[in-house]
Amino acid sequence: MATPEVGAGETRPPAQRPQGRMEGISQASARIPFKLKVAVVWIVIFLVLAFLFNAADFDTQFMRDRADFVLKGLTYTILIALASIVLAVVLALLGALGRLSRNPVAYGVSGFYASFFRGTPLIVQLFLITFALPVIVGNLGLPQSFEELLTLDPFVAGIVGLGLNYGAYMTEIFRAGIQSVSHGQTEAADALGMTYPQKMKRVVLPQAFRVIIPPTGNEFIAMMKDTALVGFLGVVVAQAEIFRRAQLVAAADFKPIEAYLLAAGMYWALTAVFTFFQSRLERRISKGYVRGGTTTAKEKKAQFMSASAAGGAGGGAGMAEIDTEEDVSGPELKGQGH
Amino acid sequence: MRKFRFRSILVLVAALSLVAAACGGDDEPTEPAGGATGGTTGTGACADADTAAGDLLAQICSDGVIRVSTDPAYPPQSSLNPETGEYEGFDIDVATEIANRLGATIEWETPKWEAIIAGNWQGRWDMSVGSMTVTAERAEVLDFTPAYYFTPASIAVSEGSEISSADGLDGMTVGVCSGCTYDFFLQGSLDIPGFEFPPPPAGITVKGYDTDTTAFQALESGQVDAVMSATPTIQAAIDKGRPMQLLGEPLFSEPLSVAFDKSSEVDQASLVEAVSGIVEEMHGDGTLSDMSMEWYGEDITIDPSTG
Amino acid sequence: MTSVGNGQAVVRVENLYKRFGDLEVLKGIDMEVDKGEVVVIFGRSGSGKSTLLRCVNFLEDPTSGMIEVAGVRLEGGHRTKGKREQVRQLRIKAGMVFQSFNLFPNMTVIGNVTEGPITVKGIPEGDARSIGMDLLAKVGLSDKADEHPIRLSGGQQQRVAIARALAMEPEVMLFDEPTSALDPELIGEVLAVMKSLATDLHMTMMVVTHEMGFAREVANRMMFFNEGVILEQGTPDEMINHTKYPETKKFFEAVL
Repeated sequence: MATPEVGAGETRPPAQRPQGRMEGISQASARIPFKLKVAVVWIVIFLVLAFLFNAADFDTQFMRDRADFVLKGLTYTILIALASIVLAVVLALLGALGRLSRNPVAYGVSGFYASFFRGTPLIVQLFLITFALPVIVGNLGLPQSFEELLTLDPFVAGIVGLGLNYGAYMTEIFRAGIQSVSHGQTEAADALGMTYPQKMKRVVLPQAFRVIIPPTGNEFIAMMKDTALVGFLGVVVAQAEIFRRAQLVAAADFKPIEAYLLAAGMYWALTAVFTFFQSRLERRISKGYVRGGTTTAKEKKAQFMSASAAGGAGGGAGMAEIDTEEDVSGPELKGQGH
Repeated sequence: MRKFRFRSILVLVAALSLVAAACGGDDEPTEPAGGATGGTTGTGACADADTAAGDLLAQICSDGVIRVSTDPAYPPQSSLNPETGEYEGFDIDVATEIANRLGATIEWETPKWEAIIAGNWQGRWDMSVGSMTVTAERAEVLDFTPAYYFTPASIAVSEGSEISSADGLDGMTVGVCSGCTYDFFLQGSLDIPGFEFPPPPAGITVKGYDTDTTAFQALESGQVDAVMSATPTIQAAIDKGRPMQLLGEPLFSEPLSVAFDKSSEVDQASLVEAVSGIVEEMHGDGTLSDMSMEWYGEDITIDPSTG
Repeated sequence: MTSVGNGQAVVRVENLYKRFGDLEVLKGIDMEVDKGEVVVIFGRSGSGKSTLLRCVNFLEDPTSGMIEVAGVRLEGGHRTKGKREQVRQLRIKAGMVFQSFNLFPNMTVIGNVTEGPITVKGIPEGDARSIGMDLLAKVGLSDKADEHPIRLSGGQQQRVAIARALAMEPEVMLFDEPTSALDPELIGEVLAVMKSLATDLHMTMMVVTHEMGFAREVANRMMFFNEGVILEQGTPDEMINHTKYPETKKFFEAVL
């Protein structure tokens, strides 16, 4: 470190000394692994939050007492999310094929579906399906059994609503995934004489799924949190997921803050666990498939496009995977909500 | 083949989900809490009912089940006991007794309050025992029995607040549960057939919340200066340690009734009649008064206007 | 029109025009390929040679003109639904090998080869498998049957691609620059397989390539494409040693 020559009578600029110390610090800390530093940051944040928590004097005994009851909702949170994601995947596949179709009906219907369910808030959609749908059907003068069929139990309405909503967003993921399959593949399938359904089923979709699975996993994680909205539809206790149970517990003892903090903690832990498995899944999918275990630039771009098309929500809770030698998955788009 | 494994997992998950959605678990309190299903002698109203009539009462009697709505967000009328997993409260007990006297068991539905008072229940449940005030607007979409009790309404302020009377509320904000009668009262639009009301306190701003509990929370956080709710509800909160205190005497009492959906596809006139009769019975034989004492510490089942 | 002279045309192209937007790539092509004939098509990129090949099996839809492959005769320029099935039938009779191999990565090597017979022709899996293993033996890759394409070299992948096309028992094989994407040391093994197709199986072949050595050895006829038309054609000897057009000569000078 060269210090500039200082002429006699000139004072050394004071800025030099702190600079020297900073350089020394950064040199010393360069030896400490990055992950460790991040861990320290997290620990500090938690300590600060714990301090604030204690200062707020929340009734932690209440939280401990009710934890068991609220946690029972976990089964239903996951159940609703699973059922909804299955529905969403089916709709997304149909939607994607529609968006890629030259048939004006398929293209138009899928476009309308995507536009409506991406353009209106999820909670509004859930209410409409639960409360408006039966009325509309009833007013159409359709037979009684139809109306009864479409008067959905809040639990089922929640699943249908979540499925429709997420299916619309995932249409883009699926479309990008299908388009990421190289054109040569469809040409080879065509040259063999395959029909369109055969081509999709045997060649295109299996390859598209490689690109589709990581962002779909992120959607599932986001969906688990959105299951909380089902609680606003008036679900009975027997089918109550985490948030609904927190609502009931809050009302019974007039402690909404503690109850919702409890729920928040559970969702956070749930998301963290699933995000961890999601990262491992992403790595496994890339590795087993590509020579040498690294994704090609084209595949990375395809993953990026399908993830960003969805808004890449959900995988926000885990620590960033900064293992650069092994980082084969596409960029993690954390925290982008719909 | 890897593909088959993946697909079969998907199918398995889908099947599981559908099964779960259809079943919906079995820890739902269908047995009335503390109710004596063994005690029904079968001589309830259903015993006399004409099950061939094809109306709602007939359906209920032949199924042996009546679906009752309750929103377990309002202790001590209705809330969920997390330890037992059962609903409990004054309304729960009243509904259970009504069902017993009909000769049916209860199946609980828990829609949100807004859905209950709006009518158009789409046949999702048959009867609401939810401390519902009979207002003129609600009477357009719902049928009511005679009142089964009368709840006083009070204003509450934070513990240790300097406000000591309704006049002290001038220029203050008051929290209420949206769409509740207190909301209407404070806005001067409460219309209960056959009842007169004092004017609301002057100069207040009304803030609506989704439930009383949320409104109470707002009071604690200082977002509102006062809340208005049913006196027993406020008292229950105070008893559970919330830092509130009642502001003076109750302002009025409102009649609360059992409700039925006017737009029900199946004729319910006989059901309304049967339940109305049961309510009168329960007044006469003191059942309602006993329940009131148990949950409110006082008998509020007497019509204050008649004394 | 020169031909092997046995009079059995497997491929007929009549008055073929192909336009991409404003650009006319094929300007009235007439040609025939007889049974057992090997035709090598060459020319600069953009001359239309690949487009011709891709029109033969309708990977490109001709703007106008007639295509006939092994008796399936179709007029280009129509896209009605009814034609899709006929196009499919035509494609089954023509096997294609692509410059970038285009093997299906989600299947094994043997899976790739048996895919056509099983899915398109409905041949039972056992039969298809023995056909497939036979073909893999012919191209020298029996030991790679259960590998995934990703683990094979380019030359190996292309040989699998040839086996995959052959599994459909086509009447004609279409090769679209089959060695252009290969490292030099791998070109030979592919050309060797292609040669054996001609000499051992007497397969009718249309090959778009710049491999003049192969053309000299194996081709019955060489066809020079220039700006959307067949400028010259003839036997390898005629074309290489006695070309008539300066463009052809210039091309050879650049390539040989």
